[in-house]
Amino acid sequence: MADENSENSRFNLLPEGCIANIISFTSPKDACTAAAVSVGLKSAAESDTVWERFLPPDYVEIVSGSSSPVAAYSTKKELFFSLCDSPLLVDGGKLSLRLDKSTGKKCYMLCSRQFQIAWGDNLMYWTWSSLPDSRFAEVAELQSVFWLGMRAIFQAELLSPNTNYAAYLVFKLMEDHEGLDCPSKASIKFVREKNGSVIEKVDKTISNVYIVPRVMGRRRRIRRTRGGLPGTTPNDRVSRVRSDGWLEIELGDFFICEGDKFDIQIDVSETKHLNWKRGLIIEGIELRPKEVS
Amino acid sequence: MAAETGTPTTLTLKSNDDELFSVAESAAILSVTIRNMVEDGCAGGVIPLDNVDGKTLASVITYMNGISAIPADEEKKKSYRDKFLSDKDFETLADMVLAANYLNMSCLMDAVSAKIAQVMEKKSVGWVRRKFGIENDYTPEEEAAVKEEHKWTFEGVETDDDN
Repeated sequence: MADENSENSRFNLLPEGCIANIISFTSPKDACTAAAVSVGLKSAAESDTVWERFLPPDYVEIVSGSSSPVAAYSTKKELFFSLCDSPLLVDGGKLSLRLDKSTGKKCYMLCSRQFQIAWGDNLMYWTWSSLPDSRFAEVAELQSVFWLGMRAIFQAELLSPNTNYAAYLVFKLMEDHEGLDCPSKASIKFVREKNGSVIEKVDKTISNVYIVPRVMGRRRRIRRTRGGLPGTTPNDRVSRVRSDGWLEIELGDFFICEGDKFDIQIDVSETKHLNWKRGLIIEGIELRPKEVS
Repeated sequence: MAAETGTPTTLTLKSNDDELFSVAESAAILSVTIRNMVEDGCAGGVIPLDNVDGKTLASVITYMNGISAIPADEEKKKSYRDKFLSDKDFETLADMVLAANYLNMSCLMDAVSAKIAQVMEKKSVGWVRRKFGIENDYTPEEEAAVKEEHKWTFEGVETDDDN
């Protein structure tokens, strides 16, 4: 297409409704860019036509089924950004949901209370506490184990289709944490049931995660970068600080297609070194589109 | 509605520059505007379409015939739409948006809009202004305020002078 400006000024002849329809096929980020182009484009870019399309198709059910209060809104754009900025508790508080503001895709966090945790039913090893800075009622606190194993299961149909998701363990360390600097294994599997028997489709994602970076030893400083530690491979991951103050570590990524129906089974374990480990607080595991912070 | 058997009903459409086009009623009623006229019994003679020129109407009729010949198969319809739009320049696309709007043809409207939207994706403010010939009618203060509202959008966008 030739780049001849005068010819393209035909865009200015389009009624606002048509321009809004065009913008609704871009992305939330592109719509915000369009709003800065001109006064006329701003009016189109902020219309409900546009933001209705950026909201998930089931947003009405999501909002009405949530146990969190949703801030009052007068436009779909306001609702969109309120769902980006304030996660909603859904499914009886087991999950939290927010939207990714660049793409409008769904980001879910499963609360650690819903994990299957090895030794998780014995208070000598794991306890449950409520923290003021957690979105969930309770979070898991590791008192002491040598066998670290946890599993979270998400249903693929909850997620936005045609999206590359990454999974993140969201956690904190207690002052007296110990033994968490040996690599844990993270794996992501797709599991489906057919005729009563379980078929596992192992995804390629298996990585080493360093809940506490090994070279930091006792200094307990948290590295903000990923990879790059001596002797680590590109599949090795270290933690970084989130905007909500918790730490996170990437566990792997996977692609969700339209109509996918299976369980996404995410495991984090350290069962090789079997040293004593303590002082880990786990809020949950978050799934969100990759390449987005 | 369209005749089920026998000779298909043909409609005559007239563009605003007085070109006449014959089109099967079964294809033409993809336009809700035309369908309403047919249902109201106003489609007997020549149907004047005052907001569409002959060149655009010819394109729209090609689309009507092409898409209505495809049975209910979304994949095939989509690939027909992609192919149909692949060689259209921006001027033609904008004219087709206006025509689809006037004729109330949502499937054409959405396909053309999505095609134009592709051009806008991941572009800077300056790029969109230049590409679409849009005049910046903001005062510098207003523009700064709009950008401030969604600062995150503009982070990482290096310059406004790229293509």
